[in-house]
Amino acid sequence: MLQKMTEYVLQSALKKGASHVRVTAVRDVSNELTVLNHSLEKIQSAVESVLHIHLFVDGRYGTCSTNTMQTGHLDNLLNQSIASIKLLAPDPFRTLLPKELQYKGVPLRDVFSGDVETEEKKDLLFSSTASIQNKNPALINATAHYTDSIRWVHIADSNGLHCTSEKSWFGLLTECSVLGENNTRPSDWNFIGGTNPIHISAAHESMRQTLDRALNKRNPKKARSGIYNVVVENRVASTLLAPVIDAISGAQLQQKNSFLLNSLGQRIGSSVLTLIDDPHKTGVPAYSFFDYEGNATKKRTVIEKGILNLFYLNTYHASKMQMPCTIATPSTLLLTGGKGDVLSLTKQMQHGIIITGFNGGNCNTATGDFSYGIEGFLVENGQITTPINEMVMTGNMINLWNQLHIAGDDAQPISSRLLPSLLFESIELAGL
Amino acid sequence: MDSRKLLNLALSKGGDYADLYVEKSFYNTITLQDGEVNAAGVHQEGGLGIRVVKGQNTGYAFTESAVPSDREKTALIASHIANNGAVVKTADRFTTAQLPNRYPSLIPWESMSVHDKMPFLYRLNELIFEQDKRVSKVIARLENSTSSIDFYNSYGDHFSDIRPLASLLVVCIMEQNGHRETASVSRSFRMGAEFLTHELVSQLAKEVTERTAFLFDAQQPKGGEMPVVMSAGSSGILLHEAIGHAFEADFIRKNESVFSDKMGEKICRNGIYVIDDGTLQGNRGSLNIDDEGVPAQKTYMVTDGILTSFLHDRISARFFNTTPTGNGRRESFRYAPLPRMRATYMENGKDTEESLIASIKKGLYVDTFSNGQVQIGAGDFTFFVKSGYLIENGKLTQPIKDTNIIGNGPRTLSTIAGVANNLLIDDGTWTCGKGQTCPVSCGMPSVLVESLTVGGRI
Repeated sequence: MLQKMTEYVLQSALKKGASHVRVTAVRDVSNELTVLNHSLEKIQSAVESVLHIHLFVDGRYGTCSTNTMQTGHLDNLLNQSIASIKLLAPDPFRTLLPKELQYKGVPLRDVFSGDVETEEKKDLLFSSTASIQNKNPALINATAHYTDSIRWVHIADSNGLHCTSEKSWFGLLTECSVLGENNTRPSDWNFIGGTNPIHISAAHESMRQTLDRALNKRNPKKARSGIYNVVVENRVASTLLAPVIDAISGAQLQQKNSFLLNSLGQRIGSSVLTLIDDPHKTGVPAYSFFDYEGNATKKRTVIEKGILNLFYLNTYHASKMQMPCTIATPSTLLLTGGKGDVLSLTKQMQHGIIITGFNGGNCNTATGDFSYGIEGFLVENGQITTPINEMVMTGNMINLWNQLHIAGDDAQPISSRLLPSLLFESIELAGL
Repeated sequence: MDSRKLLNLALSKGGDYADLYVEKSFYNTITLQDGEVNAAGVHQEGGLGIRVVKGQNTGYAFTESAVPSDREKTALIASHIANNGAVVKTADRFTTAQLPNRYPSLIPWESMSVHDKMPFLYRLNELIFEQDKRVSKVIARLENSTSSIDFYNSYGDHFSDIRPLASLLVVCIMEQNGHRETASVSRSFRMGAEFLTHELVSQLAKEVTERTAFLFDAQQPKGGEMPVVMSAGSSGILLHEAIGHAFEADFIRKNESVFSDKMGEKICRNGIYVIDDGTLQGNRGSLNIDDEGVPAQKTYMVTDGILTSFLHDRISARFFNTTPTGNGRRESFRYAPLPRMRATYMENGKDTEESLIASIKKGLYVDTFSNGQVQIGAGDFTFFVKSGYLIENGKLTQPIKDTNIIGNGPRTLSTIAGVANNLLIDDGTWTCGKGQTCPVSCGMPSVLVESLTVGGRI
């Protein structure tokens, strides 16, 4: 039905005066359940669809989108949008994806074939929260939040592009809050997920780890300001990579709003930093055969031993920058070549701080200067000791990644950023 | 739509309460980049969200379909939060609430074409390039939306509300001797097209140019604990992060907030009043009525230094046996309402900003911000400072930039040492995230906090 609507919109837009059209149809089916201690706190179900329409009209460009799939409504929307676009200034850099870059392969289908009944999901959640009740008198709340979703995407354009993907994902977020000193209620979380349903033993283990993490955070201290070696735990390391990825995106580069402008082929990190974009890795949420323009994906080396190899350029930014189009956005990013987990890195560090969470902060996209709140633990003689909080890590992104000393190999395949734990040297931390 | 039938279906498994939230929204954007207004976007969406409440628990489902049988299925899905208990029936008739008009649209956005809007962006671009030769790029975006809401609940309440929202955002990038800096400014109001004026364009051009140029002389400060004077206006982010979120009563009823057991206690010095207000005319965070049919109001969270109210939705108000405060808000029909802030600010004190600065031997003055965050249970909050100055011997000296400041909510409140008499509400595009987004605003007079941890060079 939605695919037929895509064709209808494509043909209708051309008849109404568009020179070229690209239509992306998305259908999401999702379920969420939350159990708080012994009670089903929330249950939510949704089926939603949307059409994103990219219109190229007389050398001009505009977009429209809607979740109303009636032909009369779509015709009105196209009429209004095309009339508005004709009033804009021309933009010669807006084009459809060239045919030679189009994905022409089979649809991507990575959908769990079975059914998981609502009662099974409830059982998983209730047994997870029950598994830690009465384990520690400091426990205030145990929350288990389950999600499953199936996303279907179809992209078609007037240049003959047709590509489809359908993927499912299951996730379990566990959270615990506990009583600390001075009436504080520290909390922590854990997330597990994958393309298959969550197993009950994994859920229990996740809940147990979450409680331990929250308990370990009680009664934190602020350490002295200083220059520390730090280990950044795998599950939060992507916070430090995000500004780098933003800085090599066409949107920032073309606007000269990037600290990595003109850095292609340049050293932007230590030789420990090798970053691979692997869209065809299975079992992770960013598994993909094509980007949002329908550009066929392939495995690429983004950074090789500290040298930047790739800018993320869609057709528009590539054209404006007079550079070849690469791919619009990252898929699954893997920091490779390391060895060890967070504990082995901590032992190698001997003295310093292990960062287990970031609390706010930001990075200046033009300069790379950053400042992030941190929490974690002191490390003394290779042992994790006192929890710390209310400290701030400050520096510059290029300097930071050049201070990457050791990478682990403990990335968790639960997001599109598969980063292991990382050991950085000589990081400026403000505290007492 | 047979609202009564849908509500009764939603309650058929034993829910205590149900509501229907019917939304139709239109969003329009035009963007200037590289000197041309050459991109426009239109988004239209609509749907029905059905909520069932059983005790503190929520069943929620939504549909984009207007077909009656689809809507009935949606009601039944939401009903499953309950599985026993007496079946409550919807009231026999609906009473439509008479709403105030806090956001009249004097000039409807529908009457303004892309062609009418474009000159404002071109003028903005022109003014910025005229004001500083170092400007290399300008991005400007005008957004306007109108959401039409129809709401029904099982108590027999009904309201219809039309909510406009307009925003103008501009980003400026400058280059000087191979060094680049960027800054942005924005304005946002619940207004019609009368929002767009030449005066607004001139103000934004001046502000963004000055802010960007300022950064060339600024540096990240030396880090550590120090007194901080927060300037009037956008420093209200301190209240949003340090107080507002931790006062949202869903966290309170779950006993997860660091303020959970502090109702009626003194949490800061006498003379401090902190308010969350949904009644400011045209304000980005204002509402005629909240998203669960409770009239918006001005809520005193802190009165003369005493914690006097949390921010309630219907669920928490019922839990605490109090009245809801009109804070039940949602991003769209896709989301169940939660306690959310509106416009959060502090009333004027008796000091002056000059006297607060003069009282500091060594500290920081901060005046523009980008983002913040809080840990509700631990109370640790942060906000990212885009610009400010060092204070040395009672005077503003070295410009500073790009530092994250971190503190603890209860401790910070108790160490507010001075409040000036220059309250300013910031009208930027503040957006609060809590699993779903909501437009908000914040404000504050200049305030002196005795000690916060400033991120910076060692």
